[in-house]
Amino acid sequence: MDAFLGGLALLLDPYILLVVLAGTLLGITVGALPGISGSTTTALLLPITVTMTPVAAIAFLGSLYCAANFGGSITAILVNAPGDPSASATTFDGYPMAAKGEAGRALGMSAVASAIGGIFSVVVLIIAAPLLARVAYSFGPPEYFALAVFGLSMVAVTGGDSAVKNLIAGCFGVMLATVGIDLTTGVERFTFGLYSFTDGIEFIPVLIGLFALSELLEQAAALGRKATIAKLDAVRLPSWADMRKCWKAIWLSSGLGTFIGILPALGATTAAMIAYVETRRWSNEKDQFGKGAIEGVAGPEAANNAAVGGAMVPTLALGIPGSATTAIILAGLIVQGVRPGPHLFNEQPQLLYAVFSSMLAANLLYLVLGLAAARLFARISLIPPPLLWPAVFVLSVIGAYAPNQSIDEVWIAIAFGGIGFLMRRYGFALAPLVIGLVLGRLVEETLKQSLLIFDQNWTGFLSRPIALVLLALTLASLIAPQIYALTRRRART
Amino acid sequence: MSRSANLVGATTAAAAAVVLFALTFTFEQMPEGLTQGLGAELFPRLVLGAILVLSILLAMSPEQDAEPLPQVPPLVYASAASFAVFMALVWAIGMLAAMFAYLLGMGLLWGERRPVVLLASSGLVTLAVWAVFAHTFRIPLPHGHLLAVAAF
Repeated sequence: MDAFLGGLALLLDPYILLVVLAGTLLGITVGALPGISGSTTTALLLPITVTMTPVAAIAFLGSLYCAANFGGSITAILVNAPGDPSASATTFDGYPMAAKGEAGRALGMSAVASAIGGIFSVVVLIIAAPLLARVAYSFGPPEYFALAVFGLSMVAVTGGDSAVKNLIAGCFGVMLATVGIDLTTGVERFTFGLYSFTDGIEFIPVLIGLFALSELLEQAAALGRKATIAKLDAVRLPSWADMRKCWKAIWLSSGLGTFIGILPALGATTAAMIAYVETRRWSNEKDQFGKGAIEGVAGPEAANNAAVGGAMVPTLALGIPGSATTAIILAGLIVQGVRPGPHLFNEQPQLLYAVFSSMLAANLLYLVLGLAAARLFARISLIPPPLLWPAVFVLSVIGAYAPNQSIDEVWIAIAFGGIGFLMRRYGFALAPLVIGLVLGRLVEETLKQSLLIFDQNWTGFLSRPIALVLLALTLASLIAPQIYALTRRRART
Repeated sequence: MSRSANLVGATTAAAAAVVLFALTFTFEQMPEGLTQGLGAELFPRLVLGAILVLSILLAMSPEQDAEPLPQVPPLVYASAASFAVFMALVWAIGMLAAMFAYLLGMGLLWGERRPVVLLASSGLVTLAVWAVFAHTFRIPLPHGHLLAVAAF
């Protein structure tokens, strides 16, 4: 409790408060730009954190993550083009409301539902993360290996075309983590004689290339689609009548979103979609859904923001990211020399409580900003692509170059831009590659340590109950989707 | 996604895995006593083996959607090529000037035809990059070689 109060006291530091405000503003602004998702926003702005202290960096990333998710809903409602995939469900009723001249009402409800969902999940994060960390505190290398492999296996269900493609992408991510000097033997691997690769592939250029530059190429393919903005009346707090109508949807979706967020690999987009379906199921006005039902805005918005706090639970407590954005945040922390996991709760609790307090503050800040400046954010969403995307390229270049002042890293970002574009084209999701890259080193280190403990006897894992359960879960998560697909195919024929 | 897309993906992944697997034989060999059977090549080979197995599974997976992949529009190739042009410009005229030129060129390429808007936005973005990174964070940006060559 003392540490948490200390975390809240951090917000009294004008520098940290400024960082949180900047993170929130940038998050909403960039999140509101169509095509720029929360992961792209975080990857693009990650280099800025290199210049910050770890506490400021973590506060910046926490507030950015929360706000980018909310920013996506502004364009979903006004332009019918979600700024973030997690706001896709918001378009179903948000845009019809805007088309009926109720954009201000929809945005007001979106801001309030998002804030309630976000705050609810941060409270769960504050309670659940330390408990989970306490459980994991006794983990040794075998348990950690099993946990990391389980996290990797869950990439099978992260978007994309098929579980197999996701697993291939995840394995390539792990392979990327093997580039550089092997820490146990000192042998260089896959460096191709390049000095830049000796210490391994840097996260930042890879992330910028995969998310920002590949998206630029995707946008080049889609250029020409004209966006029209719905007329925006004054954004206002929801009326009591609207709140009475939506409270059930908001709380149900907040709970669902937090729970789905905690599960590895299931992020805000899934949470919002499930919440939309459930909100409709429990609504008294089912026939209004799709035509501009305010509950159809409240439910998904509460859920996608609740998933943000939920996804941070395994990321902070176990060091296992559950989504692309949390993997990027984890990469940002590793760049800062901080490796989240159970030990962090004892060794540097102030960092964790900086996350909690910054996320709480960001949720309150975007509520205020969302209500006060929605018109401005809506304008930002209409920046023409011929001006926006070249600027994204320039920011990507400087972002890749700045941390180490290396032109080689700009080349790496460009190469991964091409790789990312091809991956998307052939139905490979990007998130598994990033999760593999972030977890790769942990998997290798813990595997080698475990084999040393077991005297190179692979069956040693069977003597560790927790590792055994986790490996069994891994096997189940790999086999279950195949069995499900097979039974569906049989049922169809 | 068509079977051919799966086949392309599987073949590319398998080919990359085979090449990388072959590369593991070029790793420096350390004495057995030092590696204790856990050489630098062990883990990459395990992962590459998994990729090979998964690639075979992918190649065998049934067709989900018969629609062929849409053609890549020429603008995508042009935009990808512009990345390389930008890097050549950085070498020639330095990063800030290259950024300004790139913003103008890409804006034109993507269809912006209002010169004042294009010039103003390119100038503003370049100025912002200079103000934040070069001025505030004091990050030295690469200078061009062309001026140096001309001076020589």
